[in-house]
Amino acid sequence: MKFIVSSSALLKQLSAINGVVASNPIVPILENFLFQLEGSVLTVTASDLQTVMITEIEVESSDKGAIAVPARLLLDTLRGLPEQPITFKIDADTFGTEIVSENGRYKLSGENPIDFPKVPAVNKTLSIEVAADVLGKAISNTSFAASTDDLRPNMTGMYVQLGENNTTFVATDGHRLVRYRRQDLRSALATSLIIPRKALGLLKSSLPSDNTVVKADFSQSNAFFSFGNIKMICRLIDERFPDYENAIPVNNPNILTINRLELLGSLRRISIYANKTTHQIRLRIAKDELVISAEDLDYSNEATEKLNCDYNGEDMEIGFNAKFLIEMLGNLSTNLLQLRLSAPNRAGILVPNDQDESEDILMLVMPVMLNTYA
Amino acid sequence: MDAFYASVEQRDNPDLRGKPVAVGGSRERGVVAAASYEARQFGVRSAMPSVTAIRKCPQLIFVRPRFDVYKAVSREIHEIFAEYTPMIEPLSLDEAYLDVTENLKGIDTATGIAREIKEKIREKTGLTASAGVSFNKFLAKIASDYRKPDGLFVIKPSQAEAFVETLEVKGFHGIGRVTAEKMHKMGIFTGADLREQPVENLVKHFGKAGRWYYQIARGQDDRPVNPDRIRKSIGAEETFSTDLEEIELLLNELWPISEEVWRRAERAHLYGKTVTLKVKFGDFEQITRSRTSLQPLTEQPVYERIIRDLFDSILPLRKGIRLLGISLSNLDSLDDLEGRQLTLPF
Repeated sequence: MKFIVSSSALLKQLSAINGVVASNPIVPILENFLFQLEGSVLTVTASDLQTVMITEIEVESSDKGAIAVPARLLLDTLRGLPEQPITFKIDADTFGTEIVSENGRYKLSGENPIDFPKVPAVNKTLSIEVAADVLGKAISNTSFAASTDDLRPNMTGMYVQLGENNTTFVATDGHRLVRYRRQDLRSALATSLIIPRKALGLLKSSLPSDNTVVKADFSQSNAFFSFGNIKMICRLIDERFPDYENAIPVNNPNILTINRLELLGSLRRISIYANKTTHQIRLRIAKDELVISAEDLDYSNEATEKLNCDYNGEDMEIGFNAKFLIEMLGNLSTNLLQLRLSAPNRAGILVPNDQDESEDILMLVMPVMLNTYA
Repeated sequence: MDAFYASVEQRDNPDLRGKPVAVGGSRERGVVAAASYEARQFGVRSAMPSVTAIRKCPQLIFVRPRFDVYKAVSREIHEIFAEYTPMIEPLSLDEAYLDVTENLKGIDTATGIAREIKEKIREKTGLTASAGVSFNKFLAKIASDYRKPDGLFVIKPSQAEAFVETLEVKGFHGIGRVTAEKMHKMGIFTGADLREQPVENLVKHFGKAGRWYYQIARGQDDRPVNPDRIRKSIGAEETFSTDLEEIELLLNELWPISEEVWRRAERAHLYGKTVTLKVKFGDFEQITRSRTSLQPLTEQPVYERIIRDLFDSILPLRKGIRLLGISLSNLDSLDDLEGRQLTLPF
C-alpha cells in the first residue's frame, strides 16, 4: 500500500486529533494512529478507549489497506519536515512503514491494524445541530467548574439538558457550579446526558471558532460529534447528575453590583496574601463599599483593599476561596456583575448585570467559614 | 519510662520479676514490643522478630501486651507532669518533652524538677523513669537515654558540643537505620564526624534533613515544645502468621483493618483525605499505594471503595503477602469550622 500526501496537511489533521492519544495508554496499540486508506481518502483514527477522534484527508493513491503507525514518532518527524509531498510505503505483511521525503527515508515499525479497538457504531436516538461557537462557549463557560475527583464520577463532566424550549449546560465540583442556558438551542426530544471532561477539552480545542455547524448525535452510551472533516465519539458518563436546581438558593436579598474587572484585579492582588492552601479571602460589604482582605497567619502577610460598589442589603462578612472567584470572574464577559447573597454560610451567586436574550448564565460558589460566624 | 511495657508486666506479676520478659507475640511471626532489662542482657531488643529473640534467650518469657493498662499508667504519669507545666509534648505513651522554663511550682532548676517527677512516678506507679535535662529537645532526649534505667542526666550548654561529638550517629533520635548506614558509607560514625561535614554536602545527600543533621551535630535545636502536636495520620496494620496469596483471604484480613482505622478516626473526630495501603511481601519488600481525595472522606463507603481500588492496583500478586496496613492522613477536624470550604448540598 502506498500514498502521497502533503507533509503539512497531514501534520495539521493529525495535530487536530492527537490530543486523544494518551502518553501511557492501557493497551500499547493506542499509542498509534490507525490509518485506513481507500483510494484517495485516508481516514485517521486516534483513541483512548473513552474517546475516539477521526479525521479524513485527501491523498494521492489508488490503493486500499490499513496500518497502525506510532503517533509520537510520526508527529515528531512531520514537525521537523519543511512542507513537501511525502510518500508512505507500507508492507502489509510486516507492517513496516517507510516515509520517503525529498532527501530522506524514515522507517517506522507499524502495528497490525486489526488490533486497533473498534470504533462504536452510530446508534443514535437523538440528533441536534449546533453552531461551533455556541458549543465552544458552553464548554468554556462550564467545564472549568467540573470536578477532577474520580470518586465523584457524576461530577466529572458537563451535564447537558436538552429541552423543547432551551438547552442547559451545567458543571459542578461540589463547591461551585455553573449553569449556562441557551434559548436558541432546542431539541424536539427532551433528554439529558453527561459528557466527560477530557472529551470536552479535546472537543473545545478542535472546534472552529466560527458558526460552522456541528452535528451531534447521541445514543444511550455515546455522543458523536462531526464538524468539518473531524469526527469525535465519546463515551458518556453513566451516572446520575446531582439535583443541582435545588442547590441554587432562590431568595438572595443582598445584592452587590460591581465592575467585574475592578473586582477581578483586586482579588488577584489580595489573593497573593491569602493562605496558600485555603486561598481564603474575606469580603466585608456595607453600604456602597466592599472591603476585600486576606491574611496568611503562617507568614504574617496581610492585605486589604476598598472598592466602590452598589449594595442593597444587610452589612455582611463572608469568606470565599479566592481561586474559585477569580476563575469564575475570568470566565464571565460582562462589564457589570451582581453578587447575590443570603447569609455567610450560604452560596453566593454571580450573574452578569445584563444578559443577552439568547443566553443565561449563573455561577454559584459556596463560602468558606469565617471565625466571626459560627 | 524504663522498659515500659515489660516493667508494667513485672510490676503486676511478681513471678516475672528478675526474669527475662518480652511483651509481644511469641508465635513465629511475632515481634518483641518491649524487653525487660534482664532480657536485654541477652541481646533481646524491641522490634526484634520473636524467633530471633528466643534464639538469643531460650528462657525468654513472652507476655501478651495489655494496652489498656499501659494507657492508664500513661495517664497517671501525664497527670504528674501537668503539676509542673502545661507545656507537655508527648512522644509516645511513656515519653514526653516538658518545657519547664516557667514551671507551676516555682522550682529553680530543671534538675530539681526532674528529680521530683521521677520520685513521684515511683510513688504513684511503682515504676522507674529516666530523665534527661538540657536546653533543647534534641539534647534532652539524648540525655534521657544516656543513663537508663532510673537515670538522671544533665547536658549543660557548655558541654553540649563536646558531648555530641562523642556519640554515635546511629543513636541520634531521628536518625534511623537506613540513614545511619548511608552515613557510615560516607565515613560518618560519630557526632564529631558529622560535624566535619559542610552543610551543602549534607543537604546534597539527605535533602532537607541534611540541614537538621548539621544543626544537631552542633547541639543546636530550636524546635519549641509543642503541647498540641497535631496528629498527622491514623493507621493500623496486621502481620499474618503465614504469607497469604489468596485474594479472598487477604480481603478478609483487610476489612477489619480498614474498619479499625475508620473507627479510630471517627472517635478522634478526624477525617482524612489520603488513604494509604501498605503491603509487605514475604521477602520483606514493602510497597505503599495511596490515593488522595479532594475533600475529606466523610463517608465510609467511599473510603472503602478507595481501599478496594488500592488493593486491586497491587494485583496480580507476584508473591505472598506478609503484612497489610492502612492509614489515613491529611487529617482534618470537622469540629473546627473556621476556614472550612462549604459544599453544595448534594
